[in-house]
Amino acid sequence: MRRNLWLYRRCLGAQLRATLEYEGDFWIMSVAALLTQGMGIVFLWAIFRAIPQINGWRFWDVVLIYSLVALTEGIAVLLAQGAWSMAVTVNLGGLDTILVRPYSPLLQVLSSQIGMNGLGNLALGGSLFVAALLHVGVAWSPGRIATAAFVLAFAPLVKIGLNVLTNCSAFWLKTPWSMFPFAFHTLGELARYPISIYGVVVRVILSVVLPYAFMSYFPATAVLSLGSSSWLGVLTPVAAVWCLLLGRWAFRRGLLRYESAGS
Amino acid sequence: MARIEADDLRKVFRSPDKRPGLAGSLRHLVERRYSEKVAVDGISLRVDEGEAVAYVGPNGAGKSTTIKLLTGILVPTSGEVRVNGIVPHRNRVENARGIGVVFGQRTSLWWDLAVRDSLELLRDMHGLSTAEYWANLDRLVEMLGIGDLLSSTARRLSLGQRMRADLAAALLHDPPIVYLDEPTIGLDIEVKDRLRAFLRQIVAEGTTLVLTTHDLGEIEDVCSRLVIIDHGRIVHDGGLRQVIETYARERVMHVDLAARPVSLAGIATRLAGATVIEERDGLGVAVTFDPLAHTAGDVLTAIQAELQVVDLRIKEPAIEDVVRRVYAGQLIPGPDDSPDDSPDDSPVR
Amino acid sequence: MTAAVTLPSAPPRRTPTVRQTLRAYRAMGRAAFRSLVAYQTSFLFGLLATTLAAVAMLYLWRSVLAAGRVNGFDWPAMKAYLLVAFVAGSLVSSYVDYRMAGRIQQGDVAMDLVRPVDYQRSRLAEALGFGGYELGTGLVVAAAAAALFGGVPAPAHRSLGAFAVSAVLVLPLRFGIVYISALVVFWTRNYVGVQSARIALITLFSGSLVPLSFFPGWLQGLAAALPFAGMASTPALLYIGRLTGADAWRDVGVQAAWTVGLWWLGRAMWRGASRQLTVHGG
Repeated sequence: MRRNLWLYRRCLGAQLRATLEYEGDFWIMSVAALLTQGMGIVFLWAIFRAIPQINGWRFWDVVLIYSLVALTEGIAVLLAQGAWSMAVTVNLGGLDTILVRPYSPLLQVLSSQIGMNGLGNLALGGSLFVAALLHVGVAWSPGRIATAAFVLAFAPLVKIGLNVLTNCSAFWLKTPWSMFPFAFHTLGELARYPISIYGVVVRVILSVVLPYAFMSYFPATAVLSLGSSSWLGVLTPVAAVWCLLLGRWAFRRGLLRYESAGS
Repeated sequence: MARIEADDLRKVFRSPDKRPGLAGSLRHLVERRYSEKVAVDGISLRVDEGEAVAYVGPNGAGKSTTIKLLTGILVPTSGEVRVNGIVPHRNRVENARGIGVVFGQRTSLWWDLAVRDSLELLRDMHGLSTAEYWANLDRLVEMLGIGDLLSSTARRLSLGQRMRADLAAALLHDPPIVYLDEPTIGLDIEVKDRLRAFLRQIVAEGTTLVLTTHDLGEIEDVCSRLVIIDHGRIVHDGGLRQVIETYARERVMHVDLAARPVSLAGIATRLAGATVIEERDGLGVAVTFDPLAHTAGDVLTAIQAELQVVDLRIKEPAIEDVVRRVYAGQLIPGPDDSPDDSPDDSPVR
Repeated sequence: MTAAVTLPSAPPRRTPTVRQTLRAYRAMGRAAFRSLVAYQTSFLFGLLATTLAAVAMLYLWRSVLAAGRVNGFDWPAMKAYLLVAFVAGSLVSSYVDYRMAGRIQQGDVAMDLVRPVDYQRSRLAEALGFGGYELGTGLVVAAAAAALFGGVPAPAHRSLGAFAVSAVLVLPLRFGIVYISALVVFWTRNYVGVQSARIALITLFSGSLVPLSFFPGWLQGLAAALPFAGMASTPALLYIGRLTGADAWRDVGVQAAWTVGLWWLGRAMWRGASRQLTVHGG
């Protein structure tokens, strides 16, 4: 376990050095991340200028959920962006060399990329998170702080696990494009808003089938004690482990049917 | 001791039979029809410690698929495989510690990193001690001449440089088994020679080597055993000499004549089963014969009985001829199959 | 397309007639359409992604407007606004620029330079080809979403003419922005970032998520100074009848002016880019 983590850091570090060769990319990606996330906030702000609350959620409550999506996205992109390379790695044969190295293939894949938009997401998400916490008017007890820290630490793992799960479709779809997992990524973006606004089908999908809501909405309810299901937020670590296990299971199933490229 | 044991390995690839267009895609969801392609069809192979095996066959015969099965990249459809005593695809990490792999078409180096950084990452993955790492690296740097490549980024290397760096990466942990899939494809002669010398040396040091290649010289230079595969099956497995005796027994005797002969029919009558062809614009004759049916002396006697011989050469088939015919898909065993007329200016072996 | 001038002194190299040139562009458009059909599965998953985003917006606005009219928008009008914006946004999705950026990055664009057709017009022809497919699938999705959310009102009679003109202008206007952003790759190398920045800007300032009238005054002013409103807001407001009479034609005029302006800006950028390509060898 320690060795695995240490090697993971080594691989990421090497990747970071490689990525920094292209300094221009870093700035472009950071600006793009700021614009993308900033656009979402301006959008929320424009709506909340007109009405005080949606389903009992006020502006800063929604900003808190929103900031959690930006933060989890930032962490997933910085630490496990390799999941998004699977369509190419699997279907253009790059997995071959990974499979003959003595280190977990899944961990190698995950650490094979660093998203340069991660820092932008983290910076904006972090500031929004702090600003939201200052405005939500929650009474902070040691218990609540501990709960919040515990729950929030696991939220990014939900996203990473689901990224792996959906990107494993590469083994079955056999195209070097990631459109299928991207569609699910967009589904995950639905968790930027309180999921109580959705119909029951969408809510079940987001909280049970592909529990994207555990990267933002449920942790936020736990922190704020808001909504009828705030106790669910405490289950975030369970959801995280479940998603990671699902991802690993899909990857292993995929390796069984991996056909490499050519003959 | 057997390093590699494969028993009745089969690999079947399945590809969906989809009709074009949206309607085709939807229909496939309901009907699910596949066409199957048998890439490897019941291969059994045993490679002992220290052997150097050339694995050849025409394109699409299943060479690369076999290598991918042996290295644990692919999971066999049926059959068993053991490498260093373990099942590669079930225990990939353990398996990877005991093998080194080079795919000629694809690098295992990190594209945007300096070669040295790639090697250090591999060192850590293999868990080599500093002492082991330096000892192996020094040796590889010297043998492959890659000292001044270490600080270059992999993407800046030429093909030949990259291949040498890739070999160093594959051998860094001193694996007992090395698989090379087309390692010299696209390289110039000087680099090829260097690589061959290197391969001879590691084989001499006891490394087990499995090599797929189109390069005939490489087979003769490095390998002692030749496995020929076609349509996913092994059609020959044995020593190099033995291959020649099985597949290309016939010799060709070329004689130069003092004068143009009136007819060659007499020679053919004296030598049953041999082929007689006029060459050198009538001033020469080439007789192709099976040495088990006629000795070279018999053939010469028969020619001299009819014509006046000035000079003669005997051409034995080289492994090249066999392999070239394998790749051309013309391998039919036995002496009945006359070889394509071999150019008579090729050197006598 | 160069005008069909026949040079009497050079008979072997005939300048193609207008009709021949048009035929070449039509062929390119058809090829683009067919290639989208070939990559259908990927395309449909991409469409699913944008559909999910649109569905999220519909849910969100349903909750916002549950209590009644806000800023003059009621729920039926808002539904229609969002769906028109969705269909408009599905045109010139990332295929034209994705291909352009890829060819520029790999240097294949040099091959396009030696073709006997105009580069920008060729890309527009392709965008039109893709557009046929995008419009078809976009309308199907919008109709399904409309059914799911209880139907949408028909387009307003008063501004129908202006809506028709505005709708036709959406594709060339979007093409202008997409084309320019893809050309940026000549200078930046990275396209993913440029593309997502462009998407963010369009999404916000075209009013496709929230009508621009929800913005405070200064932000509305900024949006009005940018070319994006014509990509969603203008046709959507015309559809629901929020923009009528002289205002309607003024906004359509602005949309048309931007369409032409971006076309010429794109031409100027291409000239600069191809000069760089021919001088520095890519």
